[in-house]
Amino acid sequence: MLDIPSLERRWLKYKIKRSLPYIALVIAILMIPSIIIISLKTNNNAVPPQTDKKIIQKKVQPMPTPINEAPMVLEPSMQFVQSLPLSTSATTVSSPSALKTSTKIATSQKSIPSLTTLPSSQTKQMTTSLPVIAPIIQPSSTNKPSTINRDTAAFDIHEIEERFKNNSNPHLGLYIARYHYDHGNYSEAYNYALKTNAINNTIEESWLIFAKSLIKLGKTDQAKKTLQLYISQSNSDSARSLLESLEKGDSK
Amino acid sequence: MEHSLFLKPKELFIDVVNPRDYVQIDSVSHMYQNLKTSVQKPLKMILLYGRPGTGKSMLLHKLHHDLSKHQKVFMVDIPIIDEDDFLRVLAQKIYGYVNREAITLTYFLELASAVNYPQTPIVLLDEAQLYSSALMEKIRLISDARALKFVITLHKTDDEDIIAKEHFQTRIWESIELQNATPDELKIYIQKKLLKSNCFDVANMINDKNIKIISKLTKGNYRNANKLMFSLFSLYAWFEEHNPRKINYNALKPKYIEMAAIHTGLIRA
Repeated sequence: MLDIPSLERRWLKYKIKRSLPYIALVIAILMIPSIIIISLKTNNNAVPPQTDKKIIQKKVQPMPTPINEAPMVLEPSMQFVQSLPLSTSATTVSSPSALKTSTKIATSQKSIPSLTTLPSSQTKQMTTSLPVIAPIIQPSSTNKPSTINRDTAAFDIHEIEERFKNNSNPHLGLYIARYHYDHGNYSEAYNYALKTNAINNTIEESWLIFAKSLIKLGKTDQAKKTLQLYISQSNSDSARSLLESLEKGDSK
Repeated sequence: MEHSLFLKPKELFIDVVNPRDYVQIDSVSHMYQNLKTSVQKPLKMILLYGRPGTGKSMLLHKLHHDLSKHQKVFMVDIPIIDEDDFLRVLAQKIYGYVNREAITLTYFLELASAVNYPQTPIVLLDEAQLYSSALMEKIRLISDARALKFVITLHKTDDEDIIAKEHFQTRIWESIELQNATPDELKIYIQKKLLKSNCFDVANMINDKNIKIISKLTKGNYRNANKLMFSLFSLYAWFEEHNPRKINYNALKPKYIEMAAIHTGLIRA
């Protein structure tokens, strides 16, 4: 005798079991495009950070070039100093003396700020701090340091002064006078401006530096006379305004 | 219940080998004609082989049914495994020699030569793979002596090639292989069986889609097809009695065919 309800249950189980692969296939077919879409979306989201990195790298890359171009930058020597603690600590960990040297270097490195972050006015401080580093570096390094710690600006101005002595070029004289005035060496600025005016008395800026140096040196009357003389010759507006401000008593 | 549409079809598919239920299908019919012709030839042994459920036994019974009208034919449908019994039964059935004691092969051959038949008697051995090698050797000697002609049926399995068997390799003069039914043959078989018994309504319910499912489930095995149809019509008879609304009289429901297949074990669920 047939047990129909039991047979129907078994048949239902059989149909479910049989249709499972098809259901799985349909689900897979439905899932594949969605997975592809999701993966594409994630890829699209993932791409901008890469481009950002590239942009950052591109932004970072130009940084060394202006440093190299600037005459005041001492970056090569600083990189050399920064690389030292790594090498010493890696090779002489077991040696207590070496450990001391490495720690010294580490502390000295901490005391030296990065040159790239320093303003140009602090370069003199760095030149003074470098000799402190030198005795620590020398024993550990086999190669001689290739850096030359010097005040290039001072060296250059001396060189220009030499050249000015040789060829008496008024433009060089004006440059030297301007340099000294900017650096607060007013007597030097006065001398070079005077020399320049002697070579060429038509350079307005040279006359102005001459007058302003006199003012800074406290020789206001002489400065006024000089300006009046120059105004009478050249009718310079700049000289006139400087004279007016001098007469008003608010000269800088 | 007495007037159920499906009770008669159900009984038609009870798996009993009866020559009167033999359904003529073109391919099987062709093979049967070949077999009949071969039997008339002076062949010593004819082999009928095929996979289980291909209709070997039915064909053998049909042959027995047809030949027994004209000549001496003895059908051994249940194998006689014991050698002494085998010879004794043959001597009794063919030559009328009744003796409860065992007889030797030599004595059997003497009996055969003593009895003169106009045509060599035919012995039909079903399920011959069950006979021992020693008995098969005696059968070979009897056939070599032209005392009897043998038609034997064997199962062909995947593991062994019957034709290559040592016993039959040199002595079989004719071998006929029966194949599983194709879907078309299965359709003809089922419908002819139903129409033969005037079950026209049920025969009309069976469409090509139903046959495709039945053929797939039974793999063209006539015996399995009989079992499936029996279960199917039992199921329909149950629904007809308990829930007639679930029966569609235009076609067999694939669901019910599958349920019948689960019941018969053709589907493991």
